[in-house]
Amino acid sequence: MGMKRYLAKRVAHSFVVIYVVATTVFFAVRAIPGDPARMMLGGDASAEAISALRQEMGLNQPMYVQYFRWMAQIATGDLGNSIFTDQTVLARLAGVAEPTLSIAAIGMTIALLIALPAGIVSAVHQNQIEDYVATVVSFLGISMPGFWIGIILLITFADLWPVLPAFGYVSIGEGIVPWFQHVILPALAVGLPYGGILMRMTRSSMLEVLNEDYMRTARAKGLNSRLVLFKHGLQNALIPVVTIAGILLGVLVAGVVAVEIVFGIQGLGRLLIRSIERRDFPVIQGAVIVISFVFVFMNLFVDMLYTAINPKIAYGGRE
Amino acid sequence: MSTRDRLLNAVDLSGRRVFGIRTDLVERFARVLGRDLRAQVGFTIVVLFLLAAVFAPEFAPYDPMAQEYGILQSPSLSSGHPFGTDSFGRDMLSRLMFGARISLAVGLGAVTFGAAVGIVVGMVAGYYGGWIDDLLMRTIDVMWAFPWLLIAIMLVAIFGQGFWNVLFAVGFAYIDDFARLARGEVLAIREEEFTMAAKSIGLVDREIIFEEVFPNTVAPLIVQFTVFSARAILAESTLSFLGLGVKPTTPTWGALLGQGRGFITQAWWISIIPGIAIMITVLGINLFGDALRDAFDVKEADET
Repeated sequence: MGMKRYLAKRVAHSFVVIYVVATTVFFAVRAIPGDPARMMLGGDASAEAISALRQEMGLNQPMYVQYFRWMAQIATGDLGNSIFTDQTVLARLAGVAEPTLSIAAIGMTIALLIALPAGIVSAVHQNQIEDYVATVVSFLGISMPGFWIGIILLITFADLWPVLPAFGYVSIGEGIVPWFQHVILPALAVGLPYGGILMRMTRSSMLEVLNEDYMRTARAKGLNSRLVLFKHGLQNALIPVVTIAGILLGVLVAGVVAVEIVFGIQGLGRLLIRSIERRDFPVIQGAVIVISFVFVFMNLFVDMLYTAINPKIAYGGRE
Repeated sequence: MSTRDRLLNAVDLSGRRVFGIRTDLVERFARVLGRDLRAQVGFTIVVLFLLAAVFAPEFAPYDPMAQEYGILQSPSLSSGHPFGTDSFGRDMLSRLMFGARISLAVGLGAVTFGAAVGIVVGMVAGYYGGWIDDLLMRTIDVMWAFPWLLIAIMLVAIFGQGFWNVLFAVGFAYIDDFARLARGEVLAIREEEFTMAAKSIGLVDREIIFEEVFPNTVAPLIVQFTVFSARAILAESTLSFLGLGVKPTTPTWGALLGQGRGFITQAWWISIIPGIAIMITVLGINLFGDALRDAFDVKEADET
């Protein structure tokens, strides 16, 4: 299959997945017990007031009418308005995107900065002291909940030795230094467990490559072993690591949600939980669509990258 | 004896070999426990925590709900509260032991649920192929496009908090992983000789899938089960921490930790000690799983 055709097929498939996700979430949020109109007006609102508000919000129409209207609406890229704040869903999401993306990006960077060197060293020195130390550290990382790491960091760096701010978020627009001071602890909390997983993957992938024939041949030919390691070894070892880094984005998203709560940051996670509590249907729907959109296309991108860095794989999937 | 049984006995096919692999797995398991330090440490931790959970009603020093001890007492052996007390004057050690019951049961139960559904889906998809495979695996693709925490939060919001709901909500997210793994294993085995042989003597598909194919995929599935049990315990603790766990009043490790969050400057132990319990348990399971992976010769990259 040619690259263009393959890509077109994959993009089409991705949109189908997102469409089904959107449909699922539409019906799922309506299955959550509790009526947004009643929640908005409070417990002692009259039945008339509630039904008037339901009418205004379009909630008294048959489910399928609501569904097709919403589908027509999102097809134009409009995710609707928040029930509670009258802001558009996109504006709500844009408002919380910066802290969440900052934490995720710095967290991912920390994870890679730890995982790649540690994984390689660990594989090259298999069953030596370096390997044991790296393995113990990565196992600890994998075994700790991110939000708990967050609490420990909070106690250490904001209470016992107060060098960093404990709560909230400062936009990068207000200066890189205050932004970084607010982001670094949550990013560590998200990045350390993620780095632990990635390190294990790098190590096992590297070990496998080191035992391949072409590596032995390269060394036997008398090529400098460091050159062999980086040119041939790392390049091949990174392939599964890249794939897994993409697949584990779900782990990262979950980590960010809980960590935002620990550090009192108004991000995507908080918005989602709050919206589910208040039954703010359009915001929940919009957030889920945007998250799955990023997730699906990120993985598509990773797949293309995977094919690009591994000339052995033809377009057509990795199975 | 029916004709089929006679044929089964006559032909040395996977029935024997399946058993061969099974006894082989048990032997390898025993060997790993006998000499691999990771397996020994991991196994000991898991057994100890399971015992603490199962016998919490017998061994916990106090009633985990009794609010009758000094508020926010710091950990001390002389006071009789080695892990201190919480903001309601409840004994932390007892709450931790009772919390282990929920955290371990939800964790292990969730993976069991995810594995049971996922393995059946994956094996059916892989064995039949064609449109059945397409339909099942495209459904799995959709599940996979939802980050697990979103699925879990939605399910808990829809069905309410409670032991079984949280268990299913956490386990739901593992269906796709088990389905993919099982499907891959089946695809590899489908063309093996013993599958052909089973077919040639007239076994029906169901028998071939469950009696011949499944036992041959057991090793990677056991490893995956172990690794995911660790993840599920972390997942349950995340949900409980967010207040979406079994019930806000039930002590679970995540919930205890969450309650301690308001007191981290006055009473660090309320949030730190449950976290240590989570960490040690998950570490134990991971160590054990890692040793099993080596013993069963399963590749790490196979089980994402």
